Amino acid sequence: MTKVTFIENNGNRIEAIAEVGQSLMQVAVNSGVSGISAECGGACACGTCHCYVVGNGLVTLPTPDGDEADMIEFVIDPKANSRLSCQIAITPDLDGLIVHIPASQT
Amino acid sequence: MPLTSSDQLSFDPLSQAFAADPYPTYAALRERAHPYYYEDVDTWMLTKMADVENVALDKTMLRGNDDVLTAAERKAQQRKMNWHDMPHHERFVQFNLLESEGDVHDRLRKLVFREFTPGMILKQRGAIQAFVDKLLAELVGQNEIDFVEDFASHIPGHIIGRMLGVPDEDCPQLRVWSENVVRFFNVGCDDNDKRIAEQATEDFYLYLLDLLKLRETAPHDDLLSRMLAQKQDGLMTEDELIATSMLILMAGHGSTIDVLGSGMHSLLKFPDQRIKLRDDPSLIKTAVQEMFRYEAPLPYFHRFATQDCTVGGQYFTAGTRFGLLYGAANRDPARFDAPDTFDVTRSPNRHVAFGGGTHFCLGNHLARLDMDVIFTTLNERFTDVQLVDARPEYKSGLSVRGPKSLQIAWKEV
Ligand code: HEM
Ligand code: FES
Repeated sequence: MTKVTFIENNGNRIEAIAEVGQSLMQVAVNSGVSGISAECGGACACGTCHCYVVGNGLVTLPTPDGDEADMIEFVIDPKANSRLSCQIAITPDLDGLIVHIPASQT
Repeated sequence: MPLTSSDQLSFDPLSQAFAADPYPTYAALRERAHPYYYEDVDTWMLTKMADVENVALDKTMLRGNDDVLTAAERKAQQRKMNWHDMPHHERFVQFNLLESEGDVHDRLRKLVFREFTPGMILKQRGAIQAFVDKLLAELVGQNEIDFVEDFASHIPGHIIGRMLGVPDEDCPQLRVWSENVVRFFNVGCDDNDKRIAEQATEDFYLYLLDLLKLRETAPHDDLLSRMLAQKQDGLMTEDELIATSMLILMAGHGSTIDVLGSGMHSLLKFPDQRIKLRDDPSLIKTAVQEMFRYEAPLPYFHRFATQDCTVGGQYFTAGTRFGLLYGAANRDPARFDAPDTFDVTRSPNRHVAFGGGTHFCLGNHLARLDMDVIFTTLNERFTDVQLVDARPEYKSGLSVRGPKSLQIAWKEV
């Protein structure tokens, strides 16, 4: 069981129980996180699943691969902790992950 | 292919009835347990959102079947589709990033992706507004217009032309070229259409070459100049540059005109929704998203399976061709509450009018911005808009959806 918390730009917190093997984007969409519209469905082709990973998650997560890093360059307001949630696979060691939704995606 | 006895369904996408309202047919297809085999084009039709999304996202499903054909089979197929003997069309229209896969596709897409990001697209807002205001100034004295021909049809050629770097006075020509190049994809295309399509491709090619020469000595802040720099850096070939320019025009031209027409028609068919949007202009984003869902202007694309697979609960072999019916998936009750209701406040609204997967529409932010500016402006300036013809005729066929014309009467505020 992996617990994930999404924090929307207005401060609203959405806590979700993620299944191993799902993508973080799928967890967000299923939990009604409206800032993650994930328009391309998870193909690393749109950038609308952009999020900021905070805290321990940053250390635990593997670094973005080439396609993800390229797409992050194109999103609005990219930061050092920017990730595309569709490229993050849920694993048990991500338990407690905290994710902020960018202001531009409300 | 064996057909089961449940295949009594009358699926005739070229019929008048289908053009008038394809949604009952889509619903009947969607309610079947398994995909429907459409013999005329040797394609399995996918209408459920889950099946459409799965195939669109599956990296083993490709737009071309080159991987599963020999060179000779490929030539034969080209001949069968009458896609041969048109050298410029073959070079610049039958090849482009939409028709390629893997590394070639990703390289070409990434080279222009920045141009289509929200921040870059937003820079066009002022130009779109100015052009719409100018068009309206010319139309305002008329109480009745054809919204498609007199208004919508002038817009995308102008806006895409500007992005590319085509001078304003040449933009009307872009519309002619674009319509002639895609004539070849029309239902019932004949040799004359083929000749016109090839000629338009050649003319557009020669025009772009001239413009590129000008940009070589004096680069502008436009897409052609930036692609030229990429070509000079060895990142893309000249043919790829030309093919990308043509694709951008072809993909964004007719589709934008069609959704402007169908979007206006939807607002007029659902007056309560029109009033809701007029009274609260901040609903424009969800309203535009709903216009795309409700009448997907490009409702049909295909993929080839490169491996044996199971789709919609049925087993298929490599080489099978699937139809992704985006317009049908957008009315799937498994995804959308009251899918046949047009609701300008619908949210979330995860539709597939722009496709999905690696070919996800590059121009979606531009298409949305056009719609946003136009419907916001119309709502501010015109209170009383009426349909003159209660049942406007829609284009026929599976691949496009939009009214041929839309006669409306309007009064300025
Ligand atoms: C107005 C409504 C539009 C709709 C409904 C639409 C829809 C689509 C769809 C469904 C696809 C994916 C095709 C597939 O699944 O095989 C696509 C791809 C594409 N669209 Fe659009 N489009 C629109 C406007 C535009 C505009 C305005 C442009 C550019 C100015 C554009 C450029 C492209 C390009 C370049 C691709 C190919 C992307 C790739 O292969 O990676 N589109 N579009
Ligand atoms: S969903 Fe499109 S990039 Fe992640």
